[in-house]
Amino acid sequence: MHKLMMVIRREYLERVRKRSFWLGTMLLPLLLLGLVLVQVLLTDVESGKVRTIVLVDATGKLSESFQLKLAEEKTKEGKPAYRVEVVAPEGGVEATRKRLEPRVLSGEVFGILTVGDKLESDANFNFYARSVGNIFAQKALQRALKEAVVGVRLEQSHLNVSSEELNKLLAPVELESFEIKEQGNARKRGFDEAYLGTFAFVMILYMALLLYGVAVMRGILEEKSNRIMEVLLGSLTPDQLMTGKILGIGLVGLTQMAIYAVTVGVLRVYAGLAVPQASWIGALESISASKLAYFFVFFILGYFLYTSLFAAVGAVCNSEQEAQNLQTPLIMCLVIPMVLTFFFVTNPDSPAAVVASMIPLFAPMVMFMRITVLTPPFWQIALSIGLLLVTNYIFFRAVGRVFRIGILMYGKRPTVPEILKWARG
Amino acid sequence: MDSAVSLRNLVKTFGTHRAVDGVSLEIPRGIIFGLIGPNGAGKTTTIRMILDIIRPDSGEVVVLGTPSGEQVKARVGYLPEERGLYRKTKVLEMLEYQGSLRGASPAVARKEASAWLDRLELADWKARKVEDLSKGMQQKVQFIGAVLGKPELLILDEPFSGLDPVNQNTFKDLMLELNRNGASIIFSTHQMDTAEKLCKEIALINMGKIVLNGSLSQIKSRFGKNSVMVEFDGDGAFLQTLPGVARVDDYGRYREVRLQDGADPQALLRAAVERVTVRRFEIMEPTLHNIFIEKVGGHATHA
Repeated sequence: MHKLMMVIRREYLERVRKRSFWLGTMLLPLLLLGLVLVQVLLTDVESGKVRTIVLVDATGKLSESFQLKLAEEKTKEGKPAYRVEVVAPEGGVEATRKRLEPRVLSGEVFGILTVGDKLESDANFNFYARSVGNIFAQKALQRALKEAVVGVRLEQSHLNVSSEELNKLLAPVELESFEIKEQGNARKRGFDEAYLGTFAFVMILYMALLLYGVAVMRGILEEKSNRIMEVLLGSLTPDQLMTGKILGIGLVGLTQMAIYAVTVGVLRVYAGLAVPQASWIGALESISASKLAYFFVFFILGYFLYTSLFAAVGAVCNSEQEAQNLQTPLIMCLVIPMVLTFFFVTNPDSPAAVVASMIPLFAPMVMFMRITVLTPPFWQIALSIGLLLVTNYIFFRAVGRVFRIGILMYGKRPTVPEILKWARG
Repeated sequence: MDSAVSLRNLVKTFGTHRAVDGVSLEIPRGIIFGLIGPNGAGKTTTIRMILDIIRPDSGEVVVLGTPSGEQVKARVGYLPEERGLYRKTKVLEMLEYQGSLRGASPAVARKEASAWLDRLELADWKARKVEDLSKGMQQKVQFIGAVLGKPELLILDEPFSGLDPVNQNTFKDLMLELNRNGASIIFSTHQMDTAEKLCKEIALINMGKIVLNGSLSQIKSRFGKNSVMVEFDGDGAFLQTLPGVARVDDYGRYREVRLQDGADPQALLRAAVERVTVRRFEIMEPTLHNIFIEKVGGHATHA
């Protein structure tokens, strides 16, 4: 036990003490933090502003109801977010717009909205601004304009509806998505957000399994090529060495994950207070405590599965070049679920997804994806975890046998059938 | 008194190759024991089985009174033939790790390693990375790694290979000192002169079998005082043709002549004086080298 602890201690300290570990670890949270800060700052500046919109309306019928609708958009302080200035189209809509352009360029006016005289035409409505990247503003304008236009169209259709009734008819329909949890309380959430959160998690899972697997493999290759393996085996059993290495590097991974989890937690609280309406908040909020717990469960199970296989590759090879071929199938097993994330997230209950989430090599990623977008039946989760545990046990034993033989072999790399023969013991 | 190491009928096969073929050996405590043999004879495989690094196909290994296994490793220091260090690790940390693997706490191991580094004139290099050290310095660090924790048994596989004469001397002195302080030492070598100087007992392994085993003096007397060293001016080709001569080894400056049993050295001297100018004539014990050649002969396997 003491020796195992010493191996874990060395493997852990050796990596955590490195500057590159901290750089690599801090980079992602810092990036995220920076992204959020910039957005918070920008939203703060932008949402306080009152924007002037110039409406050039050839029909002359829209201005009143457009102004009314747009007045519903408020700034953070509760004041109307837009001021509408109506300009008559003297000498045609185009000419009027050209005359107004200098005011847009000077920044005095946020944008010009032009309406031609054919209300039925699609190409009748245009918006001119210095920057058209502000989706929130465009959506607000479009919504207000649409309601105004539909009102006029209805009036023109001689259906004879009173303006009061018209308002009722035009009451907006907002589609809000809810996710059904096992407890029965539905939570508001859009698909984009679910997908964003899942994809971020799957990326982290993929990167972690790959990077730490390769780290274990490299460590073993280093011990072989530095001829330190046998020095260590003078004091350790091969099992102690392998287990210590896998656990030590695993702790490094958990340390990194813990740093990420804390960052996400801090971001959630901070962003939730600062800008409750931004879309990426939803992505952060979709990371619930139970999801985090599942993330760690599948990270740990996947970690042991893949690192023991990578350890076997390291044990039977003499150099990284030699290891390339053998590690390719392992990497493929990680890449396949990753590239199919979109499919699994959009079809979490399809037979393919259910089956993939039961195959141990895919299960850590696929089952986790499914859990983030829906709640699979408990038996499926339990079966998946159970299969992973059994496979881990079998692999660990088999890899231990391969490791014991492989680490003292120099020279020609054994063939796959030979390796399988060692694995059977 | 029980043995430091006791091997009974040890067999290890790699594929179709019998690396160790029924080795039985008692290595007493408290002595320096030499495991000698040509390359590929099975020395390293035997040592690995003593340390439970590989398991024998059949046979029994008892080390320091207990069946070999993980428990006994803490009491054994091992310097393998293939030895190295973590290149990017600091010297003191490297040794602290090795010491802690023998059961000491990191702090205790660090203290002991530090004392050894001071003693072997590496005090200024403690905080440097291993890769900054010269090869000779790395060899010293490797040696320290093997002797940390005052092992009762020290197993050194080809300890002198690749050493410069200064380090060879340092290592030899350290081995003698550790042995005086009670450590049993087993070392393997194919350098017969080193084995002859240091070992009280030897075992000669060839093609996986023990060919010769016992104390050096016994072995030598068993081979009898029938070797003659002759130094002379002139053509020595005649020596081979004289009656009673078993074999002649030409060393350039002198020749070593091994006589058949019962042959008279004086007859050889007379014959030599008739043909060449003899400058030196000495009846002596056979060297371990000659015993080795005679026992292994042309059958040595070359790995």
